[in-house]
Amino acid sequence: MKITTIISSKAIRRTLLISSITVVLAACGSEQESAAPATTSAVAELTGFETQVAQGADLFATNCAACHGTNLEGTTLGPILSGNTFLQRWGSGTPTPLLNSIQTNMPPGGGSSLTADDYLSLTAHILSENGMDTVTESLTASSDLVIQDNVSAIAARRQRPAPPAPEGVTVAGNVDDFVPFVPVTDAILENPADGDWPMHRRTYDANSYSPLDEINTENVGQLKLEWVWNMHEGDSEPAPLVYNGIIYLINPGNVIQALDGKTGELIWENWAGPANRQDMRNIAIYGDNIIQATTDARVIALDARTGQQVWETEIAEFSKGFHNSSGPIVADGKVIQGLAGCWYYIPEDCYISALDANTGETQWQFETIAEMGQPGGDTWGGLDDVFRAGGETWITGSYDPELKLTYWGTAQQKPWVPVSRGMTIDDVGLYTNSTVAVNTDTGELDWFFQHVPAEALDLDEVFERVLVNRGDEKLVFSLGKYGILWKNDRVSGEFKGYKETVFQNAFTNIDPDTGEVTYREDIQNAGLNEWTSACPSSAGGKDWHSMTYHQPSGTMIAPLSQTCLENAAREVAMVQGSGGMAASRKFFEMPGTDGNLGKIGAYNVDTMEEVWSHEQRASFHTGTISTAGDLVFAGDLDREFKAFDVNTGEVLWKTRLGTVVQGHPVSFAIDGKQYIAVTSANGGTSPRAVPDVIATEIIYPRWGNAIYVFSLPE
Amino acid sequence: MKLGRKTFSITYTFILVASLFISVAAQAQETYRARLSPMPTTPQTKDTITGEGEVFLTLNGNTLSVSGNYSGMSSVATMAHIHNGPPAQPGPVVAQLVVPASTAGEVTAELELSDELIEALKNNSLYIQIHSETNAPGELRGWVFARN
Ligand code: HEC
Repeated sequence: MKITTIISSKAIRRTLLISSITVVLAACGSEQESAAPATTSAVAELTGFETQVAQGADLFATNCAACHGTNLEGTTLGPILSGNTFLQRWGSGTPTPLLNSIQTNMPPGGGSSLTADDYLSLTAHILSENGMDTVTESLTASSDLVIQDNVSAIAARRQRPAPPAPEGVTVAGNVDDFVPFVPVTDAILENPADGDWPMHRRTYDANSYSPLDEINTENVGQLKLEWVWNMHEGDSEPAPLVYNGIIYLINPGNVIQALDGKTGELIWENWAGPANRQDMRNIAIYGDNIIQATTDARVIALDARTGQQVWETEIAEFSKGFHNSSGPIVADGKVIQGLAGCWYYIPEDCYISALDANTGETQWQFETIAEMGQPGGDTWGGLDDVFRAGGETWITGSYDPELKLTYWGTAQQKPWVPVSRGMTIDDVGLYTNSTVAVNTDTGELDWFFQHVPAEALDLDEVFERVLVNRGDEKLVFSLGKYGILWKNDRVSGEFKGYKETVFQNAFTNIDPDTGEVTYREDIQNAGLNEWTSACPSSAGGKDWHSMTYHQPSGTMIAPLSQTCLENAAREVAMVQGSGGMAASRKFFEMPGTDGNLGKIGAYNVDTMEEVWSHEQRASFHTGTISTAGDLVFAGDLDREFKAFDVNTGEVLWKTRLGTVVQGHPVSFAIDGKQYIAVTSANGGTSPRAVPDVIATEIIYPRWGNAIYVFSLPE
Repeated sequence: MKLGRKTFSITYTFILVASLFISVAAQAQETYRARLSPMPTTPQTKDTITGEGEVFLTLNGNTLSVSGNYSGMSSVATMAHIHNGPPAQPGPVVAQLVVPASTAGEVTAELELSDELIEALKNNSLYIQIHSETNAPGELRGWVFARN
């Protein structure tokens, strides 16, 4: 194991934040229109709880409704705060964890002057809306009632007005009736047919490159819509998977559909549950099965022919906050799956799992957080293991079959700012914000490189690892939220170079020989509730939208974003169950960009110089893909889907879709004819939320998830 | 640290106007420009921190002529200043500008710059900020960059 960029861990400045951790509130839970009696009856004397509920309703309208909806129903900016899923998470305990969570993390926009009493009122309002109507006494930080025990029968019944969500196969069909299904072997995945896109970034090296060239710089201007299919609504950043002419499409809410790629005909549909509006970026195919991760941290195999479930494995406990937003890669017969939601102070940490692809049996787990006594365990400022959080792997890794190594990015430590986590800028926190190369046979760490130690601004380095060979050199490229394109040797992890792709002022120095970064002094020393201004913002110089490596020209083409933020750390209680993000944030245009939020940048992987760039007001919301037709495709906030010349950046074709073009384009061929597919979608997390507050003049429908398929006229 | 180069821009009308401006100006002058956009904002404040603007600055010797316009602010302007701070890092006020008590209008000044401020100007370390009645800490802001 080689350690490259580590600042040796030093003194621990443990600010013990909250001294009195009295717990327990009053609680209950139910849903929508359990109108708080307090708001309507002016005459009767209000109970303490009703008074809080009334005050909480007003506070909610001003401080929270912009993101969570007037009736807690959720928007693209914030999740629903009522109903079964919400109660499942919070109902089994007292109101205190909910209170703590809100007080620590909400509103994320920050700058608000909410008091401790205000947070109690907000909690009362949310619980009242969830059906907690048997409580009379005011909530306090030590109320000891159990939420779900105080949801009245009437309210509980109101929980179930909606018909049960579908489960399992909802549309029956068989792929064999369209094209005989050929089981997917390791050899197929190592060298896919030109016309297939059989995994999230098409190939193990995550190049997002299609060798198809029927559509090229000469004729791309003639592209026409072949068909369109409306998807389920909700948050979505999907990477369709195409194998042998069939599109396997992950929809919001853990729904998978198989569509005939030629005609857009639905073959089968499966609901794995939970039936929510949440996002899953990608799925995998192996043997006879489609393999999906669910938003509640299970991994499921479906028969690719029929959509029938074959096996299911729970990889982590959803009730502890664990979940997934990206699916697996299958490497060497193993389903390799990351994990998200590891920001609570609990004994369990984040890990990458490997499951037997045929049975779902767990083979190994690689923990991304070094615990006390383990190698790297002394990089957490002596914090008790319970308080070591973060290190999520929320973007799927890549794989080198020769080296038997799988490459993943890890997210930063949580909470976001060192002072909130009781640490200093010297507590680098292995193996967060790193590239980790893990042996697929053993699950052991082969090497790691920590790009940004002791991360301090919610700018993680978690995104795809792109594997590139140049001469004898085996390289791995990554591009995190700081907008820095990193080049490392993928055999040893050795630092090979970097390029700043957008303006950044978080680091005053990046060592050209080692890649070691030095934070600006005020970022190093940021205290609680102090505003720090930095670029890029947490929307990322680059975010989840994957970049592409165009092999013929030796260029990396990345979708980039140009915004900045002001960030202020919040206090986090050093108690089990606490944790979270804990920062307030505001956003603004990146100086010097003329208000151009969107950028596509092309970089020569040998020289690391920028070959061309395209900048525009609308931010980009798809990954980039490139093709042997010398084209790059990407889509934006203003609903435009564009084709660029890979050598010059010139826009050669564009069309306008129903709503924001968001997801991961793919190219495939059926019977020798090339197609380009792309999704439009809602959701999209901070890369979407930040442009929404800055480029307010760009208007688009808040619905309209769909897949669009283009081809050349006959 | 390098600011993005641009190959295409949706603000091509500005470029047309700007190139006209440059060709009229004498060669010895140096011209600068600031795009004004809302101060740091959130989903809760995006409807109350609003507007846009564009300011041209011409340096002749030590004299800086400032002339621009703004519009769409959520309330009337109260003050406008030049501040000293590198891109995206707020800093102290170093000069006053003139603005009308209006949500839209012109922002102007004729200033004598010290050598240090000229240095700051050349290092992209000056920015313009307009304050308004409801956004006393500032509603519009924009860093000043050389036009090439
Ligand atoms: C800028 C948008 C925004 C605002 C304003 C906001 N929230 Fe949130 N909220 C979010 C997002 C995004 C999440 C999801 C965070 C996560 O899980 O990472 C969230 C999560 C939550 C959760 C946890 C939800 C769950 O399912 O467990 C609660 C509770 C919550 N917010 C309450 C509030 C309250 C109360 C306010 C007002 C004081 C508020 N929020 C203001 C965006 C917002």
